[in-house]
Amino acid sequence: MAIARKALLISPELCIGCRGCQTACKSWNQLPGQKTRNTGTFQNPPDLTPSLFNMIRYVEMPSETNMVRWLFVSRRCMHCGDAGCMKICPAPGALYRTKEGAVAFNKEKCIGCKLCVAGCPFDVPRYDEKDKVTKCHLCFDRIAEGLQPACAKTCPTGAIRYGERDSLIGSAKKLGYAKVYGETDLDGLGAIYAFKDAPKLYGMSEKPEIPESVVFWHKVLKPLAYIGLGGAVAASLLHYIAIGPKKDEEVKKDE
Amino acid sequence: MSNDMVKKASSFEILNHWVLAVSFFVLTISGYAFLFHLEQVGSVFGGFNQMKVIHNWAGVVFGVSLFFTIFHYLPVSLKFTADDFAWIGKAGGYLSKKAAVPPQDELNAGQKLYYLVVLISGIVISASGIVIWLRPMAADINRWVLISHLLHNISFDLMVIAIPAHMYLATLANPGTFRIMVYGTVPLAWAKKRHAKWVQRMGF
Repeated sequence: MAIARKALLISPELCIGCRGCQTACKSWNQLPGQKTRNTGTFQNPPDLTPSLFNMIRYVEMPSETNMVRWLFVSRRCMHCGDAGCMKICPAPGALYRTKEGAVAFNKEKCIGCKLCVAGCPFDVPRYDEKDKVTKCHLCFDRIAEGLQPACAKTCPTGAIRYGERDSLIGSAKKLGYAKVYGETDLDGLGAIYAFKDAPKLYGMSEKPEIPESVVFWHKVLKPLAYIGLGGAVAASLLHYIAIGPKKDEEVKKDE
Repeated sequence: MSNDMVKKASSFEILNHWVLAVSFFVLTISGYAFLFHLEQVGSVFGGFNQMKVIHNWAGVVFGVSLFFTIFHYLPVSLKFTADDFAWIGKAGGYLSKKAAVPPQDELNAGQKLYYLVVLISGIVISASGIVIWLRPMAADINRWVLISHLLHNISFDLMVIAIPAHMYLATLANPGTFRIMVYGTVPLAWAKKRHAKWVQRMGF
């Protein structure tokens, strides 16, 4: 039975930068802490790692009215409706879609080729020490039981909300957000954002897209692989039937 | 007289061609399995993880074998004469029973073109495969991998079109030709018809 697609609604305006989501994620997914380095910002670690599935990006972005504007943006797998990682992955079942619409992974099926890293429009997939894919899987094990993902469960302000995608979009629009980031991009993202300003200010691409070469490969080169082979075999058979093998005696006879 | 045989391929050339052909089959079958998620094919290889290892090392074998073909086929393939262009103009005589084609060298014009296609796409598919496999350290490695992925698949498509045609032309379409890949020899009378310039050059 099909169930309504689920999503995370992320509202940077509500985020207080406590990073409870980072900790809750590590706790539920049993990911170890890591030694890190001060890079002159609260953002820590600086980027996603094999044992950091989600993080808060701290963007210092003064506006005309607010000289100390600080934007907190939760970053993680976006669970794209049309996922570049899944498209390019050569190993069946390594990346798969759950019935809630999450893009989850199975390390046993992952062959460690890292093509998903190149296919992702958001630079999300990471590889662990055994060369297997890791990333946010929307707590597929929790949501399958009707629970919220750990990050949403622990968020004290409602900056990360989990629920049915359509109703999350509806509630964001009711709150006055004319556009919800990720509503339609890539067949709709599974992590949607209520941005007050241009997505660029939050460090997000205005129009996220699967790399053109991957789309071309999927639409043209893949079909050509079997049409081409089939065509070559069919042309050979046709030649054999219509014209037949080359026999030197016959050529000579007609000379 | 009519039973005289001449040597067209050395033992090493025959062996190398078989290595190239077998590695091609292994690579192509596993390649289709990766491309279209053919799980049964994956099982034959012992799962997709093992198939990746086999695919990569078969690629190494293919690349080395392709390297040796350079000595066998490249010098003659680069020599295009008026007879070659005339041969192409007549489609090698394959479209009519009556077409007589100009005298050819050790390889005919079609074989020359075919070899150049396989050599170029073979070099591209090997080099791009190595980039995808080993991911050399580079700041923009993702861009390199995407370009390699594209080139790997373009070469693959070229090969799965060209190579079946080659196999047809070397077997069913030209009865008696396949023996070159087994014995390396051909009847002198046949060589005089198909590769007159080569026979003349070699003084058979």
